[in-house]
Amino acid sequence: MNTVLTSARHEILCTLRARVAVLLLVVFLGMVSLSSLIGWITNTTVTRVYEKILADGLTTAPNPFAAVSALYYSRNSVIYVVLIGALMAIILGVQATLRDRKSATVDLVLSRPVNTVARILGQFLGLGAVIAVVLAASTTISWAAIGVIIGTPLGVDPTLRLMGFAAVSWVLMMIFALLGMLTGLYSRKETTALLVPFVVWSAIAFVLPQVGTAARPVALLNPVPALAASGGTSFDLIGALTGPFAITEQFKRVASIVLRDDSVTGNPVASILLLLAVLIAMIWIVVVTPRRALRSGLNE
Amino acid sequence: MSDTWIVAEKELLDLRRDRLFAILIGFLAIASLISVAVASADFRNQLDAYNLYVTNLAQSGSTVTAAAPQLFPLKLLRGGIEYLEILGALFAIVLGYGTIAKEKYRGTLALFLSRPVSRFSFAGGKVLGLSIVWLGVVVVLTAVSLVAVVTIGHAPIGGIDVARLLIAGGFAWLYLVFWTALAVGLTALSTRLSTGLIVALVIWLAFVLIIPQIGDTMDPDNQVPGGLFATLNIQKTDELSVLAQFSAFDGIRNGLEVSSVTKHFERLTFAFLGIKDQYNQLPLGLVWTAMLPYAITLTAATLASVVFAALATTRRTLQRNQS
Repeated sequence: MNTVLTSARHEILCTLRARVAVLLLVVFLGMVSLSSLIGWITNTTVTRVYEKILADGLTTAPNPFAAVSALYYSRNSVIYVVLIGALMAIILGVQATLRDRKSATVDLVLSRPVNTVARILGQFLGLGAVIAVVLAASTTISWAAIGVIIGTPLGVDPTLRLMGFAAVSWVLMMIFALLGMLTGLYSRKETTALLVPFVVWSAIAFVLPQVGTAARPVALLNPVPALAASGGTSFDLIGALTGPFAITEQFKRVASIVLRDDSVTGNPVASILLLLAVLIAMIWIVVVTPRRALRSGLNE
Repeated sequence: MSDTWIVAEKELLDLRRDRLFAILIGFLAIASLISVAVASADFRNQLDAYNLYVTNLAQSGSTVTAAAPQLFPLKLLRGGIEYLEILGALFAIVLGYGTIAKEKYRGTLALFLSRPVSRFSFAGGKVLGLSIVWLGVVVVLTAVSLVAVVTIGHAPIGGIDVARLLIAGGFAWLYLVFWTALAVGLTALSTRLSTGLIVALVIWLAFVLIIPQIGDTMDPDNQVPGGLFATLNIQKTDELSVLAQFSAFDGIRNGLEVSSVTKHFERLTFAFLGIKDQYNQLPLGLVWTAMLPYAITLTAATLASVVFAALATTRRTLQRNQS
């Protein structure tokens, strides 16, 4: 237990000392803060556009935004978690495991009676704590920003939903942090350690959903999950096969339901269980890394 | 043989032996192929749905006619262009970083700089070598795309289509050189190697993904699935007259989008390939006239990036000790 806590504490300290990591955390927090503002400006403008259309007598349809949830303003945060959050987690994960190998301190650490499982688990928990604090800060900012926009503090239900969104975001970000830790442990070059998880991320975020839904890569930058192409049984079949692996789309689905985005309906339990299963599998894969992999040198 | 060319030649040799580079380009080519296959399958689905609709209409005795979906071969390349926008830029950064990182790590930099070489030969050679590599990659990707459209998409390709594709390929080359030169400059400036890469990645994240995404989010028509105006049954002329009264908002939104070099590349390629309906089947001369400002800004951005790489990659910055 002592090894786990010491490693976790050391990881938190190293992450906070790394200027680049702090820069990424600031970018993430900044974008989440901005997302409420962007959501509010857009919603206000679209409502004005609708009112103009109504005043000109061009429509009698009801305002599609009249019953929009207060959490609508934070919907862009979903995509920032997939883009900035996941990439930030990868970089933190790579640096966590690569740091010891680069400076060769791993030899010193492992000369002590240290269990490698406890060591890696400690690093994972340290990263988890840093990411949890960042998400707590972003949730607080979103909660306050939405409160300012709607002119009243958010009630219990939307507050709990925001917290639920933060929890799911933590799971997704930790999956990518573990992916980074894995490549940091096994790659022989720093470039490869950073690049491989980026390629895997791009395959998960863009290629897999495209194969299953025919959605274009740029369309996948939307905060809501892509829908399968209409009338295509081939896409339904491929989507059923690739869907479970497209974890960013699963995350978008859960997040949209939790944040009460009306365009996404259904039960998020299956997607949540899938994300948790991937997280557990990744923890197991990283934690069982053999001692010799931890001590292997770098070629760059 | 000049110093610059020797450096460039060495770069080409190194990349020819680099497995990581082969994997990256292979991934990009496969992603492009998949996108053509997906787009053509999507079109076939639309065609099947149309045929079913027409059959049902005929059976019900209706005389109403519906326009059949039309296949424009180069539109099948939209996904591939978007992959180049996102992943191509990412891989260009990695290659630009790698070219400086390997010299610093191996210690070959000190040996090179101990020779009587000119001020810009190192940076010039590196950027020249990488530019040649990207030219080769673009040629290969263009050929792969062309073959994919004909074989997977079963679409006929004419001479004008090839010309359009070649022009788009030229812009793709400029775009990739922009990112690679930027990464060279940033890596040369950073005392810790990974910092250069991560800063370049943050810039990539901001300009390739976040800014275009914000611009897209702010589009009023994107707020409702299927489009706001389509949902409210608003005609195109009415839509334009309503939006004209929100020109300030649209100006800010467009300003955000055009601050990203990626959007310039996207608008250029989408126009020349006819992916954007407004330019589809338009004579090349008219497309050039409409797209000239974007062509100039993309070229200027690439030149600026190359100059930045050349100025940043000095003897002093390269020889700084790593922290």
